[in-house]
This record gives sequence, C-alpha cells and structure tokens, in this order.
Amino acid sequence: MQCALARAKLTRRGILRALRLIGSTGVAVSLGLGDFMQVAAQQAQRGMPQPDEKVDETINRLFGNRSIAPADGKVKLEAPLIAENGAVVPVTVEAELPMTPQEYVKNIYIIADKNRRPLNATFSLTPEVGQATISTNIRLAQTTDLRVVVEMNHGALYMVQREVKVTVGGCGG
Amino acid sequence: MAEAGADIGRVRIRLPATISKGEVIRVRALVTHPMEILSFDKDRKPIQKNYHFVYQIVVTYNGKEILQAETTQAVSQNPFVAFPLKVTEPGKLVITFTDTHGKSYEGSAEITF
Repeated sequence: MQCALARAKLTRRGILRALRLIGSTGVAVSLGLGDFMQVAAQQAQRGMPQPDEKVDETINRLFGNRSIAPADGKVKLEAPLIAENGAVVPVTVEAELPMTPQEYVKNIYIIADKNRRPLNATFSLTPEVGQATISTNIRLAQTTDLRVVVEMNHGALYMVQREVKVTVGGCGG
Repeated sequence: MAEAGADIGRVRIRLPATISKGEVIRVRALVTHPMEILSFDKDRKPIQKNYHFVYQIVVTYNGKEILQAETTQAVSQNPFVAFPLKVTEPGKLVITFTDTHGKSYEGSAEITF
C-alpha cells in the first residue's frame, strides 16, 4: 500500500478506487454480510452501495499512515454548534492556503465520525478556482465529531475537528 | 421523501450580480434530487429500490475541468454546493451532476463582465 501511495501521483485516483474496492469487500466478509458482499463485489463502478465503516478505517483507507497536521487556523470549519435537523447541516470549509499552480489545495474531505459511512464528500480542486472555500449541506446521523482534512498537491495534510450536536438524526440506518 | 417527482434534476446556478475581471466569485449551485438513503431491512440486506443519489459533481469552465466532487448519501436532499471561481475571461460554466441511476443533470451559466 505504501508503495502504491509513493507512486500515486499519476494514477492516485485509480489506486484509491482499487483499494476502496478491496477494502469494502474485505469488510463485508468480516462482518458476514453475505448479500452485501455480493453487492460490493459487483461494484465495478463508483457510487454503488458500500458497507459500514469505522472512522479510523476511513482515515486509514484515505491517507494510510501519512501524518496529519492540525490546521492551526489555516483551515476554518463553519458548522452549527447544534444542528436541529441532522438531514441538512450546512458546512463551510475555508482554507487560507495558497492556490497557485505550484502549490494548491488538491482535495477537501468532509468526514463525520459517527455516520454509517463516515466520508461524506470529497472535493477535488484545481488552482483555477482561485481560493479554497467550499460549502455544502450534509447529513449527520447523530451528535458527532466532524473532521475536515485538506490535502495539498505536495501531500501535506491538515485537519480540523469539531463536534456538532444533532437533535434529530438525518441518516436512517 | 421522493416527492420531488418530475422536478428531479433541475439545476439552479446563482452567480453574483456584478462580476469584474480577475475577481474570485462565489458560485452557488443546487440540483433538485431526492438523494435517497440506502436502507436496510431487518436482516441487514440493502433495499435496492431506495438507492438513488448523486455521486459525482463536475464543474467545467470554458471546457476545462476545474472542480470535481464525489458525494455520498451523507449529502443532504437537493444537494447544494458553493465554490469559488477566479474569472479571468468570460466563458461558460457548466455543472454536471451524475446519479446512481446513471442519469446526468447539467446546468450552465454564462459569465460576462
């Protein structure tokens, strides 16, 4: 896996996808979800159902054992302290990091620890957008820590983490 | 939850009222989509018919892909995204949403100064 990550520059996405496929099949077997495994095995394409996952596994799957630095104010996460409705939680990520062709924010991952499938969304940016600010609405199953990991094009990772209290969950299951 | 019905796939894009050259503007986009959650029956088998959500968003500006997002069912109904865009020249902004039923929904906006 490390070797794969080392030469991941060209086909990083392809490798990640392959790892994801292997990972999901493995988890399904270990949980004994017979039918689910079949579904997982068929998922040649993206966007197919994927099994439950713990947040540590998600982090491991996405970043391996690369070190993740705290953002120290470089990345701001705006989300409500208390979300009355877990089905619609507005989230804004604002990264005060350079956006030049040499150095830019490549990916922004939004991860909710206690969701069934913690990775909520991934945004892949290019220097053309000029600024790394993304907003979206996400679902939270229950009160959870929300993490945002920002990946630079040279591989540096920054993370912000904050708790969001949810009074009515938004993810059935 | 799926009462959106025939309206599914309507893409709305909002741009600032005035745009000047070289500025970083904020684009807001929304697609009407139920983003149905994969549910399980009591034997923990996924119920396939409920499975319908947008999994990819691609933004191109003058034909060049500038932003891409992979979304999951943990994104709210009627997914909304807002992102910055540095406008150096007038052009056409196209946002494509793709869902798990293989359909794509496209919205576009002209950027002029």
